[in-house]
Amino acid sequence: MTMATKLQRRLILDIPTGFLLLFFVMPLTALVILSFWQTENYKIVYEWTLINYGTLATEGAYITFFLRSLAMAIGVSIALVILSWPIAYFIVRYGGRYRIVFSLLLVIPFLSGEVLRLIALQGMLGPAGLVNGALIRMGAAPLRMIMYSNTASFIAFIYLYLPLVVTTVYLSLINFDFRLAHAASACGANRFRIFTEVVWPLNLSGTIVGFMLAFIPTLSASLVPRFLGGPNGTLYGMSMAQQFGESGTWALGAAMGVVLFLFSVLALGILSFGVDLRRTGFTGLGRS
Amino acid sequence: MSQSKFTRRSILAAGAVTALSVPFVRPSWAAPDTVRALMWEAYLLPDRVTAFEDTHKVKFVPSFFDGNSEAYNKLRVGGSKEFDLVQADGFWPQLYFRENLLRAVDYTKVPNASTYLPEFQPDTFKVLSDPASGKKIGFPFCWGAYGITYDAGKVPAEETETLECMFNPDYAGMLSTSSRFEENIALAALLVTDRMGTRTKPRPDGKPFNPYVLTDDELSEIEKLLVQQKNLLLTRYQDNPTLFQLLQSGAVVAATEFAQVFRQLLTAEAQGSAPVDFRHSLKMKEGGLGWVDTWLITSGVEDGPRFDMCNSFIDMMISPEVMKKIGEVAGCSTTVDLRAISSESERKLFLMDRSNEIADLFMFDQPSSPEKWERVWSNVQAA
Repeated sequence: MTMATKLQRRLILDIPTGFLLLFFVMPLTALVILSFWQTENYKIVYEWTLINYGTLATEGAYITFFLRSLAMAIGVSIALVILSWPIAYFIVRYGGRYRIVFSLLLVIPFLSGEVLRLIALQGMLGPAGLVNGALIRMGAAPLRMIMYSNTASFIAFIYLYLPLVVTTVYLSLINFDFRLAHAASACGANRFRIFTEVVWPLNLSGTIVGFMLAFIPTLSASLVPRFLGGPNGTLYGMSMAQQFGESGTWALGAAMGVVLFLFSVLALGILSFGVDLRRTGFTGLGRS
Repeated sequence: MSQSKFTRRSILAAGAVTALSVPFVRPSWAAPDTVRALMWEAYLLPDRVTAFEDTHKVKFVPSFFDGNSEAYNKLRVGGSKEFDLVQADGFWPQLYFRENLLRAVDYTKVPNASTYLPEFQPDTFKVLSDPASGKKIGFPFCWGAYGITYDAGKVPAEETETLECMFNPDYAGMLSTSSRFEENIALAALLVTDRMGTRTKPRPDGKPFNPYVLTDDELSEIEKLLVQQKNLLLTRYQDNPTLFQLLQSGAVVAATEFAQVFRQLLTAEAQGSAPVDFRHSLKMKEGGLGWVDTWLITSGVEDGPRFDMCNSFIDMMISPEVMKKIGEVAGCSTTVDLRAISSESERKLFLMDRSNEIADLFMFDQPSSPEKWERVWSNVQAA
């Protein structure tokens, strides 16, 4: 190996490594350290303590926020997988030469900012919005459940993350060899069996990636509950953001961040271990 | 042992790097090319800012915040070097000054300071003086209260004379408060301490009653009250446009706010919106919260061109014509006397003849224990 090749290889590795160290590892380390300190009257008390973790483990409010977020993240991710599959399947099977156009259409919402999309949704689901405005004009009562509630947040999450999940399932399906489904059919398997024993398991990898892409941001979301959640819709991420913003209790916020990070890693680990990558058709492991 | 050598190539490279970096290195005595402000978004007037930029050949760089504690946190983590100007209200400027986040100001360098209403003249308005040194620490800007805006067609006016109005089950699902936790707790404190009769008893800080300095018992009662109120609220609004829509559509009949939305509603009505009898209660029988927004100069600004530029910007912002525009856009009362250039209805709408009432209101302040207040608020949100 020549000197120039060695240098090139080092540069290729060192630049992303340095970037990750600087913008991921260091902030995370700072967050971990801060979580073992305390804040008092907007000032950091530099004494090592586990009090923030104790608070999170014993105070009902933070446990409630976490459980609410967890339930929301699981519900949203499952709903998204259920919704995304038929859309992605339709595009792959029947999109023909317009498949790429359909898949690009999914990206359109990302051309505007998340806040803008949420404000638009707030207007649509609100008391004078498209849905309730129409109901009121027809003489019906407005739907209270979609106004400033967890249901409104749920709808917003689906709207925000649907393109991500559809795209990952689409990318998985587009690489799937549908001749396997035809072979199963030729062997007498019905459509349900083909789906559950051939199509679904061989695309599980992409589906799980889609699930995680919706699960993790929903678990940590702060903007959606803030704009749409209403008085009973505070989620873990929103409470965490409050610690760093209005209330200035940064150390507690840092501990909340560490807990969220560890839980996300754990969830990712559990889901990853639960999947036999070879069975899913994933080829990254090579041939043994 | 390695030995460094000055080669023609290394000298050329060093020269090129130096030449390239020159535009980014500015001597401290040079005229500033930016004015950086940490401010409330509602007070940004793009056309006036552009005119200021053109006149002074600087770029105005605004950053926005919502509550005082958020701005305070930003200043404490190096913000006094990152910003030249900052806004705050109530007693917060005094706290900033005590913590060396601000510098003293000079009223003689801001000619429009002579147009302040009597209540906001430097000799009268003591909130913007450092109690220890007597130095002036900022310039008053807009003032207001945190009262109740209501639809008088649905909520009788006499009911809004008390804070009980915001906790009345008759209006379940049609009430709203802002998402600012300090003001929600402080306003509930006025009702709770009135009910408990604890205002006249010795206070935790040994000073007269202040709704931002509360005992644990009072906080516990406030938490219960706010949990009850939560079930009556349609939402805690994040911004004024949302509250405007909620009130205008009739979804909300009473809300605590800074009277800004109230004025916007009346302006909209004058411009042709459906007439609704919106009114605003400035001070309830249990008391009210008040605020005076200010312009402050951070401790990172030293005497010289940057300080002069900050003074010029403040002078422009508190000039009567800009203040009048700010009042119209943000819907707030101004600390500058605009009566000579305002109509009778504007004098009434912007409380121009009621500025003396500011003295009866409890000024926005720092919570006695942010940690305890945060816990109360989290418990309310989780309940």
